[in-house]
Amino acid sequence: MTKRIFLKTLAGAAIVLAAVGAHAQDALARVKQAGVIKVGTETAFAPFDFIKDGEHVGLNVDLFTEVAKELGVKLEWVLLPWEGVFPGLEAGKFDMVGGPATITKARMERYRFSPPIAEATVALLKRKGDASIMKPADVSGKSVGAGKASAQLAQIKSFGDTLPAKVDAREYPGNNEAYADLAAGRIVAVANSLPNITYVAQQRPDTFEVVKPAFGLKSYFGYISRKDADSAKLASAVDAAILKIKADGRLAKLQKKWFGDSFETPDAVTTPNI
Amino acid sequence: MSIKLFLLLVQACGWTIVISVTSIVLGLALGTMVSAAMLSSHRLLSLAGRTFVSFFRGAPLLVQLLLIYNLLPMLGLNVPSMVAAIVGLSLCTAAYQAENLRGGFASVPTGLLEAADMLGLTPLQQFWRIRAPIALRMTLPALTNEAIMILKASSLVSVVGVIELTRMAQDLSASTFKPLPLFAAAALLYLVINGLVATGAQALERSFRWGSKA
Repeated sequence: MTKRIFLKTLAGAAIVLAAVGAHAQDALARVKQAGVIKVGTETAFAPFDFIKDGEHVGLNVDLFTEVAKELGVKLEWVLLPWEGVFPGLEAGKFDMVGGPATITKARMERYRFSPPIAEATVALLKRKGDASIMKPADVSGKSVGAGKASAQLAQIKSFGDTLPAKVDAREYPGNNEAYADLAAGRIVAVANSLPNITYVAQQRPDTFEVVKPAFGLKSYFGYISRKDADSAKLASAVDAAILKIKADGRLAKLQKKWFGDSFETPDAVTTPNI
Repeated sequence: MSIKLFLLLVQACGWTIVISVTSIVLGLALGTMVSAAMLSSHRLLSLAGRTFVSFFRGAPLLVQLLLIYNLLPMLGLNVPSMVAAIVGLSLCTAAYQAENLRGGFASVPTGLLEAADMLGLTPLQQFWRIRAPIALRMTLPALTNEAIMILKASSLVSVVGVIELTRMAQDLSASTFKPLPLFAAAALLYLVINGLVATGAQALERSFRWGSKA
């Protein structure tokens, strides 16, 4: 009996050692060796990532194609719903997250961000021709939607606190559900980052309109890596590639293609406002 | 909605059908074994069967899928999306089908089995020729029900990265920003598939009745 337990322990130890051995190289070395960088994202975040005529397209697709070229490897996407993306990153299903997230203090404590690739400042989307909402402060005392657990939701809540009457901030599983409810008239506006709602208003100009100016604190979108020693070199290599793509004007061109305009973004992640 | 978008939905339907059918077949095979284990007089075996059912019937399918997809890699077993989806659905439906089949097996009259014993049929022959056919007939309506449930539950596998019918409708509405026509079309496609399943099952039930008259 004792012998059997001993053997089992030994077998267990061997499995653990083998698993550790497989991870002896760091993430960059594994990507180079495999010749493929695996990037996880969602597909419901136009114009960054979306499905058009059955194809996954958007700024992220174009930008990561360039990044993979710079690294000399192939690009492979892992497409999950947004709520599955962070668990997938932590489980090592892919090397990094290629769906941009607003760079916030809380997220920086847990993850490593790439240099900003676009502005993420929050603005409001309203129904076309709704004369009751002419400036952001007009949502005082009304219902506004945002994606659940999003940086945008936090911002509409704190913005609402500065207004004479509190804003009823409604949480939706995703931004698209919020847009649908706005079209249906259940809320008066949706709070989301400027590039996203500008795109929405362009796609359905008869239904939606952007309320100018943006009300949120200036913030930026960046890509996300694990914040451990294993991922450090890979994240730095991706950072360098992004900065190169930015310096030679390719990033501005892509921004123009997908957002209709290019943004001034800092070269490094600065302390976020939010 | 354009024809192009509709065709994309039909294409995504293919995955819904492939995943569901594979899971239902694998689940039926596994469920038969589990129900046999539950009915076994061997105490450990029946305990194992009951534990399997209580876990896979007791935890939400969504949670099971996330565990299979995200927890197993931490133990060194990296499962691809499609495998995680099929394994998750199969295990879940196996638990329900095992319970259905257990009822079916329990309803086989003991007199028949005694007669089979007297005729010298081996336990295996008794299983395939007497117990399994009767259990299957008894449980066919419940199994059909389960097949339809799985077809609809397959919309959950999008969480492990498979783009099936529901996910495709969501994704497409995220670029057209017109969700209503897409979800209406998806609902219609589910109705058509499940209508076919129900019709097929009815035909099967009828043929079973004919068989028993003969």
